[in-house]
Amino acid sequence: MVGVHTGPVLIVTLAWRSAEFAAASSVLLLLVALAIRQYLRHEERVRIRIVKIWRPLLTRAAIEEQEEPPTLPRLLARHRPFLMDEWNALQDAVRGGPVERLNALALRLGLDVEARKLMNSRHVGRLILAIRALGHLRDPGAWSVLEGQLAAPNALVSFYAAAALVQIDAQRAMPGIMSQLAERESWPGEAMARLIVDAGTQVASEPIRAMMLSLPPTKVPPLLPWLARVDSIVANEVAVELLRRHGDDAHLVAAALLVVLEPQELPGLLHFATSADADVRKNLAQTLGRLGGPAETGLLIELMCDRIWWVRYHAGQSLLKLLGTDRLTLEALRAQLTDPYALDMLEHVRAERATA
Amino acid sequence: MSLHAVLESVQWLFLAYFVLLDLIYLALSGVALFGLRRYMGGVSAAERVYSHLQMPVSLVVPAYNEGATIATSIRALLQLRYQHFEVIVVNDGSKDETLAVLQKEFELHPFPEAYRVQIRTQPVRGIYRSLKHPNLRVIDKENGGKADTINAGINAARYPLFYAGDADSVLEPHSLARVVRPFLEDPYMVACGGTVRIINGCTVRGGVIEQVRLPRNPLALVQVVEYLRAFLGGRIGWSAINGMLIVSGAFGVFHRETVVAVDGFRAEAIGEDMELIVRLHRKLSEQGRRYRIAFIPDPVCWTEVPEDLGTLGRQRRRWHRGLAESLWSNRSLCFAKHSGTAGWLAFPYFVLFELLSPVIEIGGLLFMGLAFALGIMSSTSFLAFLAAAFALGVMLSTTALLLEELSFHTYPKARHLSVLFAVAVVENFGYRQITSFWRLQALIGWLAGRRIEWGVMKRKADWQQ
Repeated sequence: MVGVHTGPVLIVTLAWRSAEFAAASSVLLLLVALAIRQYLRHEERVRIRIVKIWRPLLTRAAIEEQEEPPTLPRLLARHRPFLMDEWNALQDAVRGGPVERLNALALRLGLDVEARKLMNSRHVGRLILAIRALGHLRDPGAWSVLEGQLAAPNALVSFYAAAALVQIDAQRAMPGIMSQLAERESWPGEAMARLIVDAGTQVASEPIRAMMLSLPPTKVPPLLPWLARVDSIVANEVAVELLRRHGDDAHLVAAALLVVLEPQELPGLLHFATSADADVRKNLAQTLGRLGGPAETGLLIELMCDRIWWVRYHAGQSLLKLLGTDRLTLEALRAQLTDPYALDMLEHVRAERATA
Repeated sequence: MSLHAVLESVQWLFLAYFVLLDLIYLALSGVALFGLRRYMGGVSAAERVYSHLQMPVSLVVPAYNEGATIATSIRALLQLRYQHFEVIVVNDGSKDETLAVLQKEFELHPFPEAYRVQIRTQPVRGIYRSLKHPNLRVIDKENGGKADTINAGINAARYPLFYAGDADSVLEPHSLARVVRPFLEDPYMVACGGTVRIINGCTVRGGVIEQVRLPRNPLALVQVVEYLRAFLGGRIGWSAINGMLIVSGAFGVFHRETVVAVDGFRAEAIGEDMELIVRLHRKLSEQGRRYRIAFIPDPVCWTEVPEDLGTLGRQRRRWHRGLAESLWSNRSLCFAKHSGTAGWLAFPYFVLFELLSPVIEIGGLLFMGLAFALGIMSSTSFLAFLAAAFALGVMLSTTALLLEELSFHTYPKARHLSVLFAVAVVENFGYRQITSFWRLQALIGWLAGRRIEWGVMKRKADWQQ
């Protein structure tokens, strides 16, 4: 056997070292995994114990006016996050007096101090836990720390910070939230709409209207459906104004058509049936079904012959909405259609209605 | 060059390759560790925020000769905890009673759908709608393969997102809600996959996993570790840096319009799932479009894996052939301008450490074994290299086990963890070599232009109650 030379000695040594390192790391990783398993089991047991002890106490504190503050069980500082989670969940479910009573209890337990401490956590879950708690506590002293999280890169952290700010002072929170809303595409729009509706749309309508009309047209389309959920009347006014200003911007027109509410606006919208953009034609077909009457059936029949499937589909749906599903009416409509695609679509939407 | 110089060079190459591969894997696992920590921290908060906000999804289910299991699978899909979805079963010209079973079980009636062809497929023979479930439609078409079948489903899909998966996979009830979340968080998301787990050994009742257990079959057991390594280590890491080149064919959710714009799945591709993802990277980066392809670590889908060598071998050869084809047909992605992490990191990595790995692994082992047998390499050297290769492999598998512990604890008992660690050690003695051999066969077959044998995937489905 040929002996190993100087070069190979180095490689072989490296190979042995790699093997030793990897083997030792594997054992270490296994031990860490086992330790983590034990730790998580222990944490779960603690959480269950805390919930068992504290849930009845929290519920009683929320629903009963107590003259004497009750004697509370001992709570270790490291167990406070478990309690805070439970307390947050209960706060989410109550309104009015119970909120105040739960807040008083939280102050007694030092949850406010714990929440401020957790605001420095890098763990997203703990950070959100603290943000929610500070929001429920409605503590104006926490304003700056929460405002700082409004621009956090994590969408959830920033969303919860916005929610907490609204809880503390909705009016004061709006300008900051509006500027984020225009910039962020990652915020859960539906949840944000609910938040503002809960805070009272009168607080938000004016800042939103001002913001929407001042934004560049490219930023508006994704915000319009959101605005319609917050305040459909303001959304209609904004849409009509934007259609007047930017009637040549197809993306914006398509979005605005879906939030127009007033039938008297229809005559000014009919020319969009010849738009080169399929989304505009499709959304017009929907709008005609929503706001139109028998006078619009002619235009819808034209749209039934569109080259795009979705335009034909929505035109068909809108026609059924306007004309009803009476057999004779539909036979008369059928007789008017010569385009085979339009005929196919009529059968399709009729069958869909019949099996719905 | 002397024999010793050649030997030394090969030894260096072998060692460098393994060390580099393991370093990359460790780096990906490190990225995965941070990604998982962040993800797990926000899971419950996210569910609270997004619970009322769910984008509608079309579930496209290709079915070919699935008469025995199709009714159970579809019933399970219809029970998913999700607000707004439709199920489109596409019968790919099955030769068995698949269509008849569907017609009987779900009261299907012919529906005069104005079917639009956005992606060309084999002709559609009929479209049916269920009277029992308004959100269930069945497309009956001529046989064209899985990719062609999914394309027909995409044509019929109504919603902005579609799910493509196997008819025999079992989905977690919350899977859709979880996998749709990235689309809500990021408007540039075009595709998202999730962790696929192994169903062998588990028990399933009414389409829902009732009890999670490790498989008794040793081949299936080894694949549990393999899947953990692939999904929890590799994919989370690649996803974090937008370098995902594969979304498993068993479970993926896609942005419909984007997939239509790149002409859907390639019907003639063997690994149609990977080919689509690599093509999406290529086409979207060529167009200079901003996009994201992501992966969520949640165990969203359970699938049966082969329990015999014949079926496993065929599957692995097919996968490797698919990998080769996907990379070759989209080779212009590699080092392309604006191709980002996918073109500059993930693509070269897949070529070097996935496509060519069987050449290095089998070639290296053969070369060293031969050198040892001929007496030109000492037993110390030979053992050192084997030990390094094996120990590094064990370390990677153990890292995946740790990631699993840090996140989902799918396997509930401490005994499960010990068994999986033992498997992570044992798989290095035979299993890894044989899978490398199959992959090498596939690579040679592809280079020689040989046709691939599809064979039949033997399924026991003994997990079904």
